[in-house]
Amino acid sequence: MSRVTRGGMALADSARSLLDPRLLIVTGKGGTGKTTVVAALALAAAKRGRRVLVVETGREEYVPRLLAPNPEPVGYKGREIRPGLWAMRVDPYQALAEYLGLQLRMQALVSRMMRYKGFHQLMDASPGWRELITLGKVWHLKQQRTEEGEPRYDLLLVDAPATGHGLTFLDVPRVVVSALRAGPLRRHAGWVEEMLRDPATTLLVPVALAEELPARETVELVKRVREGIGVPIGRVVINAVVERPFPEELPDLDEQLARIPEDRALSGLPPAPVIASCASHLRSRYELNQRYVEEIAHASGLPTLTLPYLPGGIHSPDDLEVLAELLAGPANGAVA
Amino acid sequence: MSIDPEEIVDGRRIVVCVGSGGVGKTTISASLALGGARRGRRVLVLTIDPAKRLGDALGVRSLGNAPRAIPRKVLDGLGVPPEGRLSAMMLDMKRTFDDLVERFAEDEVVRNRILENPIYQHASDALAGSAEYSAMEKVFELSEREDFDLIVLDTPPSQHALDFLEAPQRLLEFLDSRLVHLLLHPAFAAGRFGFRLFQRSAHQVLKALERVSGVSFLEDISEFLLAFEGMSEGFRERAGQVQALLFGPETAFVLAAGPADESVAHATAFLDRLEESGAAVAGIVMNRLRTWPAAEVKLPDKSRREEATASLAQALAEENETQGGALRAAQAALSVLDSYASMVQQDRVATSPLRERARRKGYFWRPVPELPRDVHDLDGLARIASFVFEAGGEEGAVGG
Repeated sequence: MSRVTRGGMALADSARSLLDPRLLIVTGKGGTGKTTVVAALALAAAKRGRRVLVVETGREEYVPRLLAPNPEPVGYKGREIRPGLWAMRVDPYQALAEYLGLQLRMQALVSRMMRYKGFHQLMDASPGWRELITLGKVWHLKQQRTEEGEPRYDLLLVDAPATGHGLTFLDVPRVVVSALRAGPLRRHAGWVEEMLRDPATTLLVPVALAEELPARETVELVKRVREGIGVPIGRVVINAVVERPFPEELPDLDEQLARIPEDRALSGLPPAPVIASCASHLRSRYELNQRYVEEIAHASGLPTLTLPYLPGGIHSPDDLEVLAELLAGPANGAVA
Repeated sequence: MSIDPEEIVDGRRIVVCVGSGGVGKTTISASLALGGARRGRRVLVLTIDPAKRLGDALGVRSLGNAPRAIPRKVLDGLGVPPEGRLSAMMLDMKRTFDDLVERFAEDEVVRNRILENPIYQHASDALAGSAEYSAMEKVFELSEREDFDLIVLDTPPSQHALDFLEAPQRLLEFLDSRLVHLLLHPAFAAGRFGFRLFQRSAHQVLKALERVSGVSFLEDISEFLLAFEGMSEGFRERAGQVQALLFGPETAFVLAAGPADESVAHATAFLDRLEESGAAVAGIVMNRLRTWPAAEVKLPDKSRREEATASLAQALAEENETQGGALRAAQAALSVLDSYASMVQQDRVATSPLRERARRKGYFWRPVPELPRDVHDLDGLARIASFVFEAGGEEGAVGG
C-alpha cells in the first residue's frame, strides 16, 4: 500500500520549495538535462547556506565539471568542490566493502573477499545489489553527524540512473524486504525503504523534456511511483522549454515572411524564404513544447516547474545561476 | 580509410546502433534499416521501446516477439525496389530470456524450477545484464535464419556501452565461476578442485555473505543456480557464439548521438569504451543538429543592421497588410535570425570534438538536421534516411 494519496500529497508538496527536503532524488530519461538540474539545485541550496552533498550514481562524474573548472575526480570519498558544496560518486564495490567492513568487523576478511575473483564474478552477475548498496550509502550519509552533533549535510542530492533504471533503483529495497525472510540485510533494506517513503525527508524530482518520448516516460514514472513504489513526488521539472520566438502580437510572422518572393533583394540578409523557414522552425518547436508542457501537467496531475532553454548552452556555474533561482522558486500554479 | 553507411548496409549482416538514451536511437536504427531496404536488401529492424506513434507506423506495437513485414505498397511509396524488404520487430526481453531457458533446460522439471524460482522471477531482467544479452541472443537467432540479409539492432537504453558488450562474457564467466560451483556443491567441491587454500577463501566468503544476507537468500540463489546448471552447457556454447558474432567481421557499430552538451559527454564516454572493447565502430550519426536551412547564411554586422531591418520591413509591407507594423515585424525577424544563429553556433561548438574524432579515426560522420516536428511516420523516417545516406551540405562534406 502506498502512503501517497493523489490530491493531498501534490498540494502539500507543491507549496514547499524543492530545497526543503533532506533528500532529493533527481531522475529522468537520458538527454533531459537531469545532471544540469542536479548541479543547479546544488548551487541554489549552497547559496542559501545549506551544506549540500551531490551523490552521483553512474560510472562517470559529470556534476563537478559543471560546477568547477577542470575539477580533479571526486571519487568515493568525495570532496568539497565549492564552499558548502560536496560531491562524490558511489562506486558499488567500494560501498559494498564499506558495508561489509561495518557488518563483519573483520577488515582483513573483507579485503580478501574484494580481491577474490570468484566473489566479483558472483556479484557481477547478481541483480539488484548495486542499487541497494548505493541507496544504503545514501542512508548512511544521512545519519552522519558533525562533532557538534549536527547533521553533516543539510541536503543530499542524488543523481539517479536514467528512468527505466531509475525505477528499479527505487524499487529494490522493497523487493529485498519482500524476498528475504530474515537477517541483517532485510532489516537494513527496511530502513532504506522507510527513508525513501518518508514525506518529511525525501522528494523525488522527475526531469522531463516537453517532447513526445520524455513526456510519456515521465507520466509513466509518476504513475508507477504512485501506484507502488511510494516515494513522495511533488512536482515535475520540465527542462529546456523554448521561449516564444516572436512577439505575441505577431503570431504569424513566419507566414508574413513566407509571402516575400524569393528573388526580392534584401539588404545584407539571406533570401526571405530562409528567414521564413528559420522563423517557422522556431515557431513549430515552441508550439510542440507548449503542447507537451500541458500534456505532462494534465496527465501527471502534478504542478510543473518549467526551465527555459538557454540559447548559449551551459558552460559555467554562472549559466547555472538562472536555472538555480527558478528551481528554488514556486511551481507553476502552486501556492507560493 | 573511411567506411560509409552505404557500405555497411550493403556488406554487413548486423548493424548495432548504440548510444545513450534520448538521442533518437530508435529513429536512427529504423532509418538505417530503411536505407538498407532502399538499396535492395532484405532488412529487419529490432527495436526495444519505440515512441508510440513510430511503433504504430512500423506496425510493431500490436504484435509480440516476432518480425512483421511492412507491406509492399508502403515500401513502393518509400522508394524501396522490388527486391528490397523491410520488417520490424519489438523485442520482448523477458520473453526472449524465458524462451532461452525453455530451449536449453534439460527437462520440464528443470525448466519449471528456473521459471518459478523467486530469484529468477524478481530478477531475470537484471540477471547478468540479461536485457542486453537477450537482445543479442535474439539477433543471433534471427541471423541464423535465411529471411534477412541485414539486421539492425536498436540497443536497450543502458547507460553504458559495456553493459551491452560484456553481457555474453559476463554470463560465461559467471557460469564458470568457482564460487558458483561451490554454491552448487558445497560438500563435494573440495574434492573437485585441488586448491585447498582457494577453497578456504571461497568458504569464508560464503560464510561472511550468509552472516549479512541471512540464510534464506543464499538458499534461493543456490537453488536457482543448481537449476541453471542443468542447462549451462548448451547455454554456455550459445553465449560463446553470440559473443563471436558481436565482435566478428559481419557486425558494425553505429553510434547515435545528440548535440546537447550532456549528450556529447555521454557519447564521448560511450565511444571510449567501445574503442577499448575492440568493437568495430563504423561511424557516428549526429541526430537533431541545428543547422541553417541554406548552405551559407551571413548575418549583417552591427553597422548595417538598421539598413537591413528597413529593407526587410519594406518587403514585408509590400506583401502583407501590416498597417504600419512592418518595422516591428522586421525587428522581430532579425531577432529570430539571431536566436537561430546562436543555436547553430552552439551545436557546432558542442559537437566539434566528436566530429574531429570521427575524422581522425576514419568513422563516417552524418549530421541529421533537427526537423520542425518529431518523426513518427515512415515518410519522416525516409527523410532522416536521406540525411544519413547522402552526405550533403556543409557539415556532411567534411566528415564524409
